[in-house]
Amino acid sequence: MAERPTVLFICHNHPSVRPGGAEAYALELHRHLVAAGDVRSVFLAKGGPPLAPAGRVHLGTYVAPVDDRPDEYFFFTEEWIYDWTFGTIRYDKQPYTKHFRAFLEAIQPDVVHLQHTMFFGYDILREIKNTCPNAAIVYTLHEFMPICHRQGQMLRATDDTPCMQESPRRCNECFPEIDQQTFFLRKRFVQSHMEVVDRFIAPSRFLGERYVDWGLPAEKVTVEEYGRTPPAGEAAIQPRRHRDRFGFFGQLTPFKGLQVVLEAIIELHGASAGQDPLLAALERAAAPQPASAGGVEDAEPQPHVRVHGANLDLQPGQFQNRIAELLERAGDHVTFIGAYDHDDLHAYMEEVDWVIIPSIWWENSPLVIQEAFHFGRPVIASDIGGMAEKVTHEVDGLHFRANDPTSLAATMRRAATEPGLWERLHGGIRPVYRMEEHVQWLSELYQQLLNGKVVAHA
Amino acid sequence: MPESRTAPRRTRRVVADEAPLARIDALTFLGASFVLALVSGLTVPNPLRGWLSDGDRRQRLTVTTVAAAGDAAILLLGGGRRPLVTPLTGSIELERADGRTVLVEPVTVAAANVPPEQLGMRMRDAFDAAARADVQERILGRVARTTGTLSDAGNAVAALYEASRERLPAPTGGGAAAYAAHVDGFWRVDGSSYYVEGWAFDRDAQLRSLRLVTPAGRRAELLREAFRYSRPDVCAHFGVPETERLGFIAFIELPEACASDSGWVLQGELSDGGGFEIEVPSATDHPLAVRTTVLNDVELDTGDGRLLRTHIAPALTRLQRRFAASVTVEAVDQYGTPPTDPEVSIVVPLYRRTEFLEHQLAQFVHDSEIHGADLIYVLDSPEEAARLRRFARHLHELYGVPFRLATLSENGGYSTANNLGASLARGRKLLLLNSDVLPARPGWLSRMVEFYDANPRIGALAPKLLYEDDSIQHAGMRFDRNLECVGEVGWWNEHFYKGLHRRFEPANVSRAVPAVTGACLLVDAELFRGLGGLRGIYVRGDYEDSDLCLRLREQGRESWYQADVELYHLEGQSYPSPERAAASRYNQWLHSDVWRTEISALEGVT
Repeated sequence: MAERPTVLFICHNHPSVRPGGAEAYALELHRHLVAAGDVRSVFLAKGGPPLAPAGRVHLGTYVAPVDDRPDEYFFFTEEWIYDWTFGTIRYDKQPYTKHFRAFLEAIQPDVVHLQHTMFFGYDILREIKNTCPNAAIVYTLHEFMPICHRQGQMLRATDDTPCMQESPRRCNECFPEIDQQTFFLRKRFVQSHMEVVDRFIAPSRFLGERYVDWGLPAEKVTVEEYGRTPPAGEAAIQPRRHRDRFGFFGQLTPFKGLQVVLEAIIELHGASAGQDPLLAALERAAAPQPASAGGVEDAEPQPHVRVHGANLDLQPGQFQNRIAELLERAGDHVTFIGAYDHDDLHAYMEEVDWVIIPSIWWENSPLVIQEAFHFGRPVIASDIGGMAEKVTHEVDGLHFRANDPTSLAATMRRAATEPGLWERLHGGIRPVYRMEEHVQWLSELYQQLLNGKVVAHA
Repeated sequence: MPESRTAPRRTRRVVADEAPLARIDALTFLGASFVLALVSGLTVPNPLRGWLSDGDRRQRLTVTTVAAAGDAAILLLGGGRRPLVTPLTGSIELERADGRTVLVEPVTVAAANVPPEQLGMRMRDAFDAAARADVQERILGRVARTTGTLSDAGNAVAALYEASRERLPAPTGGGAAAYAAHVDGFWRVDGSSYYVEGWAFDRDAQLRSLRLVTPAGRRAELLREAFRYSRPDVCAHFGVPETERLGFIAFIELPEACASDSGWVLQGELSDGGGFEIEVPSATDHPLAVRTTVLNDVELDTGDGRLLRTHIAPALTRLQRRFAASVTVEAVDQYGTPPTDPEVSIVVPLYRRTEFLEHQLAQFVHDSEIHGADLIYVLDSPEEAARLRRFARHLHELYGVPFRLATLSENGGYSTANNLGASLARGRKLLLLNSDVLPARPGWLSRMVEFYDANPRIGALAPKLLYEDDSIQHAGMRFDRNLECVGEVGWWNEHFYKGLHRRFEPANVSRAVPAVTGACLLVDAELFRGLGGLRGIYVRGDYEDSDLCLRLREQGRESWYQADVELYHLEGQSYPSPERAAASRYNQWLHSDVWRTEISALEGVT
């Protein structure tokens, strides 16, 4: 590898614009490389609308620094028409062949490591190959966007069940307005561009297998977990009689399954669908024990959920209404914290015993699981996809049947009442994969790709 | 140009038993090449020849007798292949073809020359109506004989006819009339043919002739030739049963080109000697409109194919020829460096769904064989030319695959687009490729070429084509009985094993088949050109591929299906417009009619 090789990260968003898991990880990776000093790392994020209010300002260039640092840039694409079905810029390929090319020629990357092609378009891969023919091209897969038109979730739009296999017919069933031939063309188009990638990184085995099923060559797909810089701070674990405090951390999209948690907590406290919440409150008032907001020891476990997450305002109105209604019915059993600063995570983790990850889609390798483990909190997860892979049932957490509030309620009841369970699962948590190891592994991968060798990671 | 021949002046010899001198009473010029002369006192039979003399110059004249009655004769004199020279100052004399002079008072042309109308009027004195009508047609035939057109004689001929012809009265009597006729539509098909629709009523079966007459006097008989069909509205008007087939449809083909679309009449002749005529509206000269009209009449065939064979097919065949002749390659853009001495030229017509250009290039980029082929895209929807030519530059910049983009002057249709693309091709072989065909993997082209070269009997070769769900779209073509064909029972084109799984065993055998699809068809370029390329007789595209394969078969070449090469064919699912459906029905019939014998033999049907 050349002295101080140049690595270019390409991402669909910069975390300073909007929070998000993939971009947070990517930026962390880049900044770690910058700090380490062995490589020259450059981070390029799509900037401007629709994620940010302001777009390109200067004539004659489509890039601008993010802040006053020489290694993080925005690339502005809002002036072109992005086709979401195919993942390409329509009618004009000069964004690739002229403007992006200019940036590549200036940066001269030895390695291009893509996190996403959203807003750029898959054609960007062809342009990288054209302009940097000797560069190693690495692509980290964060979800199923190249495979699945439903925001990369592989969740059927017909009935919200997880989908194991795409096909022109099945995709058309989910999107009747897009015909089968279009889905066929989409797949051929995306795969044509992906052919120039030297190595795909799948943070979970589950995700990697889906991509191989879809048609990526198995020898090009390597499973490698996200490396993390540990979150700041401590989250003390104090002795408690009942481990009955549950936390939800994540973007408030329908796919993340908050609605499942809310329905479960409602069910847990006996207020089933149709029961008047006021009546339930009166019943509780008539009983001797007061409702608990957590933090106070009770004779009986009082399951309580704390909800941390942002972007509810971006969701479809129907979903926002449903969440509002569920929150109302759940009453005092749920505390809605909303958006939170990642640096304060430790303080929020301190207030919970368990972290629930109730996603109704497969998930890849949710960063929340690693964060929970870092703070010693066992995880209650849906029994599918990357969640089932990263959380081992009865070892460091529990599984429940995905998208099933009754199953989750039963699991939460068990979690809150079974003596010794929490301690055993807490003890089963393994150390979180650290960024240093991850960067070491990545650097070796870059080197081997540049040397033309294939790396198999045990 | 003076002098067709220099011959010594013959001395006039009067032979004792010869008749007295005949006289040219009047003459008129029909264009620069012909003179029509009214002659009296001519008793010597044909053949004759004449001389046009002017001082030392003499030009030989051919003489045709177009009428003779009693003492009067009408002669048509022509300069042969040359126009007449200095006619107004010369004089004309006639002689027997054997060289013995026939006595005609030499007449200076200037003295005898009258405008054609005058000659026409004088013809009325000497000849009856029927004779004059015949004379007119003989004149037309003679004047147009060499070129098939009246050329510069047109106006004079029309003026002559206008003055000499018998005018017939218009039919009267309204709903109680004994006879009537009407032309509902009259369209020009090409330079010498027309299409007409209307109705004719003849209560007491008196009509002996029903004919269209051009402004130059050429008659086209309709009574027995036209297709008759039921017009209940007309029957109601005249109070006769609806079973009377009063409507008529006819394709008219004239022996010579007709320049004029207006001034036609429709004449009827009755058995009692009377007649009528009505004005015919000016012919519409709008090829697309005629084609639509003619296609809509396909439905009216009664099941014996007569309307189709006699009227519709001739009209559409000429229209198709006219369309094809008007389309040219307007521009050719070269992207990248073209391959030198390519084995294969790939011709891809683009019509409307031009996004396929991007999708094909995104697959071709991975195939070095395509980089080395002579790839030609033909834009057949030129209204998109500006946008596509600009976008093609972008795509080439991104993908680097060399290709040419040929823009046509107008929409030509599938066969024209392919033939014009083939005319630009430099390869030894042609690969006709639909724009909605995508390779499954690289390397398909050389495998097809190898297969083709290994078997000298092959004329056309096509691979397995798959739908987007991996089921079979094409594995060779056969023919199946078509009971729904207009006209007689015909033949459908069917694909073997269509819709079955790609690994269905019988579909995975390469073999000779009755025909193959044009969506991905490899053929030797010389062979293709020798046959004249794809045949343009089918309207808007269809059956050109099986038609090509059957023509190849006539040349002793087989059509082969290659099972070990797969591409995808995203065959369009759009439901046909009414116009498309009508064209399809016609094409079905035409293909079946042209190839009935051969297909029956191929499919083992007696």
